[in-house]
Amino acid sequence: MRELFHEISSTLRNNKLRTALTGFAVSWGIFLLIALLGAGNGLMNSFVGNIEDYISQNITVEGWRTSKPYAGYKEGRDIQLDESDVLFTESEQWKGIIHDVYRGTGVTSVSLSLNGLSVSGALRGVMPDYKEAEKMRMYTGRFLNPDDVDERRKVIVISLYQAKELSPKDPDAILGRWIAAGAISYRVVGIYHTDESEMSRLCPIPFSTYKGIYDNTDKVESISFSVTGPETLEEHEAFEKLYGTAIRLRHDIAPDDRRGIWINNGYTDNLEMNKASRMINIALWILGILTLISGIVGVSNIMLITVKERTHEFGIRKAIGAKPGEILKLIIAESITITAAFGYIGMFLGMVACQIMDKTVAQRSIDIGGEKIQMLVNPTVGLDVALEATLLLIIAGTIAGAIPAWKAARVKPIEALRAD
Amino acid sequence: MLIELKGIHKTYDNGQPLHVLKGIDLNIEKGEFVSIMGASGSGKSTLLNILGILDNYDEGTYHLGGTLIKDLSERQSADYRNRMIGFVFQSFNLISFKTAVENVELPLYYQGVGRKKRHDMAMEYLEKLGLTQWASHFPNEMSGGQKQRVAIARALITKPQIILADEPTGALDSKTSVEVMQLLKQLNQEEGLTIIVVTHEGGVANETDKIIHIKDGIIGEIEENRSHSAWGGSIIK
Repeated sequence: MRELFHEISSTLRNNKLRTALTGFAVSWGIFLLIALLGAGNGLMNSFVGNIEDYISQNITVEGWRTSKPYAGYKEGRDIQLDESDVLFTESEQWKGIIHDVYRGTGVTSVSLSLNGLSVSGALRGVMPDYKEAEKMRMYTGRFLNPDDVDERRKVIVISLYQAKELSPKDPDAILGRWIAAGAISYRVVGIYHTDESEMSRLCPIPFSTYKGIYDNTDKVESISFSVTGPETLEEHEAFEKLYGTAIRLRHDIAPDDRRGIWINNGYTDNLEMNKASRMINIALWILGILTLISGIVGVSNIMLITVKERTHEFGIRKAIGAKPGEILKLIIAESITITAAFGYIGMFLGMVACQIMDKTVAQRSIDIGGEKIQMLVNPTVGLDVALEATLLLIIAGTIAGAIPAWKAARVKPIEALRAD
Repeated sequence: MLIELKGIHKTYDNGQPLHVLKGIDLNIEKGEFVSIMGASGSGKSTLLNILGILDNYDEGTYHLGGTLIKDLSERQSADYRNRMIGFVFQSFNLISFKTAVENVELPLYYQGVGRKKRHDMAMEYLEKLGLTQWASHFPNEMSGGQKQRVAIARALITKPQIILADEPTGALDSKTSVEVMQLLKQLNQEEGLTIIVVTHEGGVANETDKIIHIKDGIIGEIEENRSHSAWGGSIIK
């Protein structure tokens, strides 16, 4: 083995241009693949991350306006959900499937003010699990808890944006303070993280508090719940149809009138998104493999020329006693050495490129509709993927070397000696 | 009998069949220094290739040192070539990116001899041929005569039973030609090596002890030449 290595290293040293060209093809292929996959991963992380903020893991039902005439009613009728719909949703009929039902109230716009500074806010009565369902991230303090709802406390959670507006010098200091929301004062118990989008006007207050002050009826603006059972897209759609038909018929709405009662299914959105990210991933790999193929073609091309060029040399080696297997071994070992060494260099540089992307492009964000979006999030490739890709190239390089090597090994020495 | 050829036929078939060797019968004893002479196209190179197990033949038998050389696998013929035959070619056939000593070592590499021992032996042979100071030079840094001596060292290093030289002086000037032939003669006399030289030059053939004339694929006259008086006794072209 050491002898073989010595033989190869002397050959490579004495054929520097050839070695460099082959090496470049290999390094470049791996480098591009890893940089591409890294950028792709970054793009996908950003895509998934940005969308996940909007997708909640539950189903929300809201009354809108009918778009079809049904049961003697004309279209264009406003639909209002109420407590009976909540009871229907919680009924035995859906036992084991629907749980964690909670009522969503409407939104009341108010002006929040503190020490002469003010900012607009949208009060909404919610239950404590609203935070999980809407994927809210707390900046400081806490979210609403069951006691807040039970005791109808006058507490409020505001956005970091609002906190900064009300207390520009020290947003954190607003925690625990009483602020005015219209005519009523609330104590701030938490501040949540936001971008500067419209969403950040939302101020959750306990559901019971809201009902008591702003909406003293049995009307419900929305009903949200989670489900267990349906897994696939088809199962979710089937459930949605079953539930949707039932609740629409309660209000004399056509079963397929999606605008009469709107059902927003976070699960199917999620499934759709997973599908989308899988497709991006597949597309990336296809691009990557095509890149890799160009590297492999480069290697095989050079190996082919190399073997042709060295036919005479192989003839000499055979004349003085090299067996066909030995010629084969020499070429393949040489090809593996080149692809492995330069593949490693390409892999290393590719990972460096990913790190550079992470430190530069990934730190920048662009503004879309008032919202900051990072184009690339963590644009790196796992070491396992990098090693796999390098291994793939080494195997391909071996095969690329093996075909011409096999031909060279089979040439009769007398013919090989005649070659120039 | 070291080499025993009986009724060797060889036909090349490149579109049109070409009957090159038409029944060669030839015996060469151990320790002989012979030349095979003929015009180009006479079949002398084909005969040498068959003797050197570089090519196969269609009919007849070839015994080398008592072993029948026929229908061998590539592995076997490579092994026989390595252990029994040393080649000296007209165009030297040194590997250009290897130094003189590395070229000489190469046959031993294929025998699986260790690096240190290989190197020592190669240096020993280079010294014998007066090339010690050229050991680490590449072929393109040496003269034709030096290259041919490196090639001879490479042929000798496995201690073969026969040396096959195909126009060994073909690429050399007359002075160097004389030196190379003297060297081969010396090896024959001092080491008792069997040497077969293929040539079309009378002067070169005259240096050998026996001249085998080949014409149109058959052996013609076999000339005893102990006195080295054939062709006027001169190597000068």
